Amino acid sequence: MSREQSYVRVDNTLGNKLFDGANIIVLTIIALVTVLPFIYILAVSFTSPEEAAKGGFILFPKSFSLSAYQYIFSTDTLMRSLLVSIYVTTLGTAINLLLTCLMAYPLAKQTLRGRQPILMAVLFTMLFSGGLIPTYFVVSGMGLTNTLWSLMIPNAISAFNLIVLKNFFQQIPDGLEDSARIDGCTDVGVLFRIVIPLSMPAIATFGMFYAVSHWNQFFSAIIYINDSDKWPVQVLLREIVILAQSRIGDTGFDETAIQPQTIRMAVIVFATIPILLVYPFLQKHFAKGVMLGSVKG
Amino acid sequence: MKSKPIQPFASNSKRWVNLICSGVLTLGLAAGCAGTGEKAGSSGNTGEKAGTDKPYKLSIALRQVGDIPAKGNEVEQAIEKYTNTELAIQWIPQAAFDDKINVMIASNELPQILKVNYVPNVMNAARNGLFWELGPYLKDYPNLTAQDQRYYDNIKIDGKLFGIPNYRDIGRAAVVYRKDWFDQAGLSLPVTMDDWYNVMKAFSENDPDGNGKQDSYGTMLFKNYNAGTQPVITRLAVSIGGVNRWGEEDGKFTPEFKTQPYMDVLQLFRKLYADKLINQDFAVYDVTELDKAMYDGRVGMRLNVSAQNVQGYSTAMKDTIPSAEWDIAPFAGPDGPRIAGEPGNFGFLAIPKSAVKDEAELKRVLTFLDKLMDEPMSTLQMRGIEGKHYELVDGTKTKYTDFALFQREVKPYRDGLLNIEGYNVPELEDTPIALKGTKMARENIQYAVPNPALTLNSPTYNERGVELDLIIRDAETKYIMGQIDDAGFQAEVDKWAKAGGDAVVKEYESSFVELGG
Amino acid sequence: MNAQIRTTGSSSSSPSKSTLGKERVSRRSEWLRELIKDKWMYAMLLPGVLFFIIFKYVPMYGVIIAFQDYQPFQGVLGSSWAGLKHFERFFSEPQFWQLFRNTLLLAIYNIVFFFPLPIVLALMLNEVRIERFKRFVQTMIYIPHFVSWVVVVGVFYIILTTEGGIINEMLFALTGHKIAFLLEPSWFRTIIISQSIWKEVGWGTIIFLAALSGVDVQLYEAARIDGANRLRQLWHITLPAIRSTIVILLILRLGTFLDSGFEHIFLMLTPTNRDVGEVFDTYVYVKGLTQAQYSYSAAVGLFKSFIGLILVLGANWMAKKFGQEGVY
Repeated sequence: MSREQSYVRVDNTLGNKLFDGANIIVLTIIALVTVLPFIYILAVSFTSPEEAAKGGFILFPKSFSLSAYQYIFSTDTLMRSLLVSIYVTTLGTAINLLLTCLMAYPLAKQTLRGRQPILMAVLFTMLFSGGLIPTYFVVSGMGLTNTLWSLMIPNAISAFNLIVLKNFFQQIPDGLEDSARIDGCTDVGVLFRIVIPLSMPAIATFGMFYAVSHWNQFFSAIIYINDSDKWPVQVLLREIVILAQSRIGDTGFDETAIQPQTIRMAVIVFATIPILLVYPFLQKHFAKGVMLGSVKG
Repeated sequence: MKSKPIQPFASNSKRWVNLICSGVLTLGLAAGCAGTGEKAGSSGNTGEKAGTDKPYKLSIALRQVGDIPAKGNEVEQAIEKYTNTELAIQWIPQAAFDDKINVMIASNELPQILKVNYVPNVMNAARNGLFWELGPYLKDYPNLTAQDQRYYDNIKIDGKLFGIPNYRDIGRAAVVYRKDWFDQAGLSLPVTMDDWYNVMKAFSENDPDGNGKQDSYGTMLFKNYNAGTQPVITRLAVSIGGVNRWGEEDGKFTPEFKTQPYMDVLQLFRKLYADKLINQDFAVYDVTELDKAMYDGRVGMRLNVSAQNVQGYSTAMKDTIPSAEWDIAPFAGPDGPRIAGEPGNFGFLAIPKSAVKDEAELKRVLTFLDKLMDEPMSTLQMRGIEGKHYELVDGTKTKYTDFALFQREVKPYRDGLLNIEGYNVPELEDTPIALKGTKMARENIQYAVPNPALTLNSPTYNERGVELDLIIRDAETKYIMGQIDDAGFQAEVDKWAKAGGDAVVKEYESSFVELGG
Repeated sequence: MNAQIRTTGSSSSSPSKSTLGKERVSRRSEWLRELIKDKWMYAMLLPGVLFFIIFKYVPMYGVIIAFQDYQPFQGVLGSSWAGLKHFERFFSEPQFWQLFRNTLLLAIYNIVFFFPLPIVLALMLNEVRIERFKRFVQTMIYIPHFVSWVVVVGVFYIILTTEGGIINEMLFALTGHKIAFLLEPSWFRTIIISQSIWKEVGWGTIIFLAALSGVDVQLYEAARIDGANRLRQLWHITLPAIRSTIVILLILRLGTFLDSGFEHIFLMLTPTNRDVGEVFDTYVYVKGLTQAQYSYSAAVGLFKSFIGLILVLGANWMAKKFGQEGVY
């Protein structure tokens, strides 16, 4: 109901039409400019290695070729790592959202005792960290190294997401929750039956933030997991892309196996498309006016 | 890995992860083995019977280069069988190699064989007794002893040997050039700085690729053109009688940028830049872009590569530009060939004391390393498995039958373990130019000028070496681009001296004396 | 507090407030009672609190390596103490002020030019009435976030180079000369910020779009009837509705004020722009990883964090002064 309301909130005056027109034109230009390089990546991945080797800004493959993708799929390494990534991202994000919601809700209650010190302590961890090696000892001490849990548990809550989600929760009017409490819900019930359903845009957003950060992680996988069968796809992507460029942390040796550019781009496409699909899928949760519309309605 | 076995899967969901992973893996292995079953066993592993001795469990951590080999693949099995070991190889991606090594050192989760680079943290670790000193043991291992002493000297730390280098040719620096361009222009390879200028001028102005556009260059510079172990300026300076990074005379050390040949080369490039005979954006030009220009037929010479690279360029351009003919020659000046010697390794294999407890075990590990250079193992690493990656021609020579497959399945071992072309490996049947490249890289060690400061100890350099190098690298570029003049360059050198350069010189000199000159 | 929540007029109505006034109880038992009353709240907090203790606070002892001469093989407990040596060295480096200036300028540019853009873009998207077009644009503009810096820098090179780059070809046709965007120190910050904007602006809108979805559409109805045009609606309804999100994000952003994005800057540095481009992050990278100066780079990191802490506390205090909720 609220969505229809949003459509009728403006009159079709000339001024409004001009406003809309200009807005659409500007947004179209922005969309094109941002997506162009990705089209380049996509185009190169479908170009024959010979043409791509010559360089230039390709937006459409002159000589179409699937050889890069054939190479990628000729072993199961990338496919396997993609499955690992999907697994870690799905389960990891579920854990993230559960723990973050559980913690954010009490912290959104201004009357809760101990709330402020906890928030300050959380904020503090955004600024100061003990560093790689002490964290490694904790992770390894808990027996998480060499398991996929090492990619999910040590980053189960992001302080940033927690604080911002807490802020979103705070904006839900208390009246609604109170009426649920009167109906006999515990605080846990209120969170799951009232607060979370009302905050779906925020939950979808943070779900995506978490999913993307899981998807993009390669460093922790290299540090915590020795078994290459358990590496997510970003480790391989990173390896292939990094090797090709003048390398960060180069030790001065030339003999790295530089893959043809087409393969590099194909790997980028392969490793990026799955996570790109998440957002359009979540967009239905971003419909306007859901929260307060239903509060009043 | 040895010290941290895979955690037992406690909960159900963990088991699930395991199941998925092993499921996928099993599928992969099944697929991988299906095609090879018929030919397995013909790999010529006649060396040692896996006799009564139980296989020795050996964990190795190597740097990942290219593809990750599947576990328990044929190459690994062949190594295990020949050396009577049970291998657990851990591949460490380049993207976080040094971090991972640090974590492994800090947590003492070290394998019996650890691939490391010659970098300050490893040197500190070695100095503090983390690795076995191998110098006294080397003589008992015929293959390891057979290698040129310089390979070992170049990875010594305070004069002691803490590992076995992944051998690479010391004298592999070469000019890789378009012979067809030179022939067509009636030019010969440049020797003096004037020659270089003329060749560069001809190649950029006379349209050697004949496309009617002035879009070619004699050679191109790129970001970091003088960093690392294949530096363009230093290589040219050495060819006309200069020093390889550092000069040493009667125990006195001089950095290259205080020598005349080096300044001559810089002036050459300064002139080339001013006359637009070299790419004007070289300071932001990535070397991969240079590759593209080269494959597009717009580059006449490569100065930052190895003699062996000539083969790759020839094959890659065979179809796109059939007229392209590549050739190689050592860097040479008026006094003949003079080459900036490279360190001769791709990192080294260290043996941590925490994983290898006693001398007996150390000897077992060294035996393994030595065996890797026996003929069957050398052949395996450099040629692959007979019938799968290569075949025998005329009974003695070898020929790759599936080089792409070799690259995927064998190259990781070739790059990470111990082998060197020309030692205990049958000759390769290949194109003449490829054979010339291999031979030149190997034989030109005779022309190699070493860097006398390579293994000297300088605490100042350890602490701020990158910073000091950067002062000079930046000054080089600014000088070539005409942003600073000779006085400006001198000012940067003075800055270098003050920022620690003078201290480095002194420390090298005393370290030189300590190590017996 | 958020605007329209204030308009609902419901202050916190949890029962504890009313009971508080009625009875005088000792602070201890009052505390206990609230604990019991909010037991579920505390139960929900527990996993999160444990997480932060175990994974963030237990390893926190690692910061002491900034006061040591840390060596990995000796460990944090075994390394020797160095006092404030690394801090003294850092502050007395000849480059210190240059680094500080470069980092600071880049940070300010970021806050001034980059930070507001996702908000503007989100507001623009919010005004689009064709739902499918809106979703299309949203999807397009968030794609660059997934392209790694290595690739972004490579693409910018192809476009901006003086040797055949599109921009310079056009510039040359129009004006007869070229600009070495990637080499000129005067262009450095502009290029860096432009690249950041290009890569992250679409990504940045997402959180504001989520906040915008919370705006009560009935408020627009009312405003329309009152004759408010769209800009006025935007100013008086939309913007106030996402104000608290903006404030929170700004405060949190200040915590990482001196982070410049190491990989990005590192890839863009050239000998000709290093004087304006070298920042703390690139400096520390050289020190820490390639030269094994772990303690030194930890000290620099600690300095950066400390500045961040001061900024966050200050900003939070200001926010509260102006009636905003702040972080805590």
